[in-house]
Amino acid sequence: MVRKIKDGLILGTIYLAAFFSVVLLAGIIVYVCVKGIGSVRWSFLTTVSSVLKGTVGIAGNIVNTLYVIILTLVIVIPIGIGSAIWLNEYAGKSRSVRLVEFTTQTLAGIPSVIFGLFGMVFFGTTLGLGYSLLTGALTLTLMVLPLITRNTQEALRAVPDSYRYGAVCMGAAKWYMIRTVLLPSAMPGIVTGVILAVGRIVGESAALLFTAGSGYLLPGSGEGLFHKIMESGGTLAVQLYLSMSKAQYDTAFGIAVVLLCIVVIVNFLTGIFADKLNAALRK
Amino acid sequence: MITKTGNIKIKTERLNLYYGNTHALKDITIKIRANAVTALIGPSGCGKSTFLKTLNRINDLVSSVRIEGGVYLDEKDIYAPGVDVTKLRRKVGMVFQQPNPFPMSIYDNIAYGPRIHGIKDRNSLDEIVESSLRDAGIWEEVESRLEGSALRLSGGQQQRLCIARALAVQPEVLLMDEPTSALDPAASLKTEELMRWLKKKYTVIVVTHNMQQAVRVSDETAFFLNGEMIEAGMTREIFSYPRDRRTRDYIDGRFG
Amino acid sequence: MNVKAKCIISKDRVCIVETAAQAIFTICAFVAIFAVGSITLYMIANGVPALFKIGIRDILFSATWKPTAQEPEFGILYIVLTSIMGTALAVMIGVPIALLTAVFLAEIAPKTLTAVIKPAVELLAGIPSVVYGLLGLMVLNPLVYKWEQNLYRGSETHQFTGGANLLSAVLVLAVMILPTVVSISESAIRAVPSELKTSSMALGASHVQTIFRVILPAAKPGIIMAIVLGVGRAIGEAMAISLVSGGCVNFPMPFHSVRFLTTAIVSEMGYASGLHRQVLFTIGLVLFGFIMIVNLILNNILIREDR
Repeated sequence: MVRKIKDGLILGTIYLAAFFSVVLLAGIIVYVCVKGIGSVRWSFLTTVSSVLKGTVGIAGNIVNTLYVIILTLVIVIPIGIGSAIWLNEYAGKSRSVRLVEFTTQTLAGIPSVIFGLFGMVFFGTTLGLGYSLLTGALTLTLMVLPLITRNTQEALRAVPDSYRYGAVCMGAAKWYMIRTVLLPSAMPGIVTGVILAVGRIVGESAALLFTAGSGYLLPGSGEGLFHKIMESGGTLAVQLYLSMSKAQYDTAFGIAVVLLCIVVIVNFLTGIFADKLNAALRK
Repeated sequence: MITKTGNIKIKTERLNLYYGNTHALKDITIKIRANAVTALIGPSGCGKSTFLKTLNRINDLVSSVRIEGGVYLDEKDIYAPGVDVTKLRRKVGMVFQQPNPFPMSIYDNIAYGPRIHGIKDRNSLDEIVESSLRDAGIWEEVESRLEGSALRLSGGQQQRLCIARALAVQPEVLLMDEPTSALDPAASLKTEELMRWLKKKYTVIVVTHNMQQAVRVSDETAFFLNGEMIEAGMTREIFSYPRDRRTRDYIDGRFG
Repeated sequence: MNVKAKCIISKDRVCIVETAAQAIFTICAFVAIFAVGSITLYMIANGVPALFKIGIRDILFSATWKPTAQEPEFGILYIVLTSIMGTALAVMIGVPIALLTAVFLAEIAPKTLTAVIKPAVELLAGIPSVVYGLLGLMVLNPLVYKWEQNLYRGSETHQFTGGANLLSAVLVLAVMILPTVVSISESAIRAVPSELKTSSMALGASHVQTIFRVILPAAKPGIIMAIVLGVGRAIGEAMAISLVSGGCVNFPMPFHSVRFLTTAIVSEMGYASGLHRQVLFTIGLVLFGFIMIVNLILNNILIREDR
């Protein structure tokens, strides 16, 4: 009898905890949407804030976010995939493998403030890139590198050895084999890593505040598009922080809604590709 | 090995192989005849598969392997420094126990090898794909769905596809590692038929657990036990008048 | 080297491409080593000078923080203590809830419910930290302010924080570590072999007893890893708590306005210069030290698990 009551109490606590977690999430989403949806108008998304006209718009921040995503991915994808290929296909079991794996895991654990400080002094000052989208992207490259490396590595591990032997027996050289057989098979895993990286980049603020700065203007056309890389630019998350510290809460909630939508899309896509990877694993 | 006709395609001289500290092959000396089927038999773990894998240097992929002695293909040592391993593997094709088609279309599977070796022209590729699939006896079955995924074929079809894929690079030798053990009896018989036919063009070496299969398909047989080659010769002689008692015991089913 | 030399002599294209590919991949792999190495180096190079200029005792063990005064003082003791205390409290609140949720997901919930809750937890993990900060500021601070008013009604010594205090920050952090701890410990619980569970049940233990006496102990390494990762996340978080925690340097008590290692950097970096800026890097170095300790613990767990 005592045991039954005790079990019941514990079960009750477990239900309560789970219920709390779910209500919390639902509450967050509903609250943000209710507070923010009013701000999200067409002009909010397509114009730039103007002090003269007194209007608010985040078009510049959206463009900056896209810049940072693309720049970061262009740099990080080849490095991350290359690193995973080396770890899984070339390196064997040496001490340097353990060092690369340890440092990759360490990178994943370093807080974004530290990345911000490092990016500011290394890319910004030492390399002379200043506050610019490029500085921000280079900093984020280091931050999301572990995501790409690990996901690619896991996907490569899932490719059966028989594919490797099959290709090598046809006289394929190693890189040719990797390019034509392994990478296509590992693609769902790699894409998962890339989508997760996009999620991280979109949500990041601390590492970008000191590196990419807070510019909110749209780039000029033509050459301006290219010059923008070397100019300061705040992403959506950075702008959200700045609006918040200036007590412009309507703008802040508007951006929060946009960010939430992006997060939902990112998670949805990740789910799809993770399922594909799992299906491939089971084969 | 006692040979009456034909040239020697492959020979090994005092071949020793170690996995770390394990001595897996001991002093193997053998001559393998061109345009014949040679069967390697013996209980599991006797070294027959390991031996097969030394012939196209696929053991190189395992880092702890060390090899002593010589393996000669057409009188040339394939372990000599400066040998291009990819060219060697093109000459010595291999088919595995589990069919391992790549996750691509049937056409791309067959064209994989030729493309490696620089054939890009669509007409030549078409020709190679057709003739390889015909040689492997599977052309009629897949002719209409060359662009379909190779993974959708049955196990037996996949294995013949893998044979066709190996043939597409025009090898001289074909190594087969228990090619029928994952197949049902009907598919096995088809593959055996294919082996007998293939020896007209190629030198075939097959590892098998199945002694009836060795009798049915091979011209010569070598018996392996505990990393040693006990006896080799004409299949008929080995199975009728084995000289070594251990061979006799194995053939009579006393162990393995 | 030999291979390369041969490639150049024979001018074999395949050989050159292969060698180049391997070299490029090796370089890619070493980017991680280079990154961690140079981050460590830069943090030390920028953070150590202030230690010597001001004196280790006057920075690390002094509680007076007046960086912009005529005669500035840079004691970060309270800041360090706040980070330690904040992280500890957040873990104490967040981890039990997260563990119970993980137990629920892995052992109790029907599949359909898990299929709803799991994506929800993942979503929670994906929400940007600034959004948590915004919510903390708009929802939690007013709420905590009410508690504060009730608790300190009539008090003359208490400095009212308007809800922006350690307690609010701790609650935000507790929520933020929830998803990490839930998902990692859930997979650890799922990885426990089902024979253990069946044999415990066969001995007459109830499901709840089995969970707490057999399954959770068996999943301990994974759960510890989850907690360590949660600690790492809590100690390194900046943007979510920078506006929620108040921002004065005080001894860490629930209703004190406080400053963390991370929030000190974020809120002062914009205007700091000279020695003040160097001290901010020292704060960064201290934070980095904490994180490296967390990482080493994590690495040890992973290595032990490998065996």
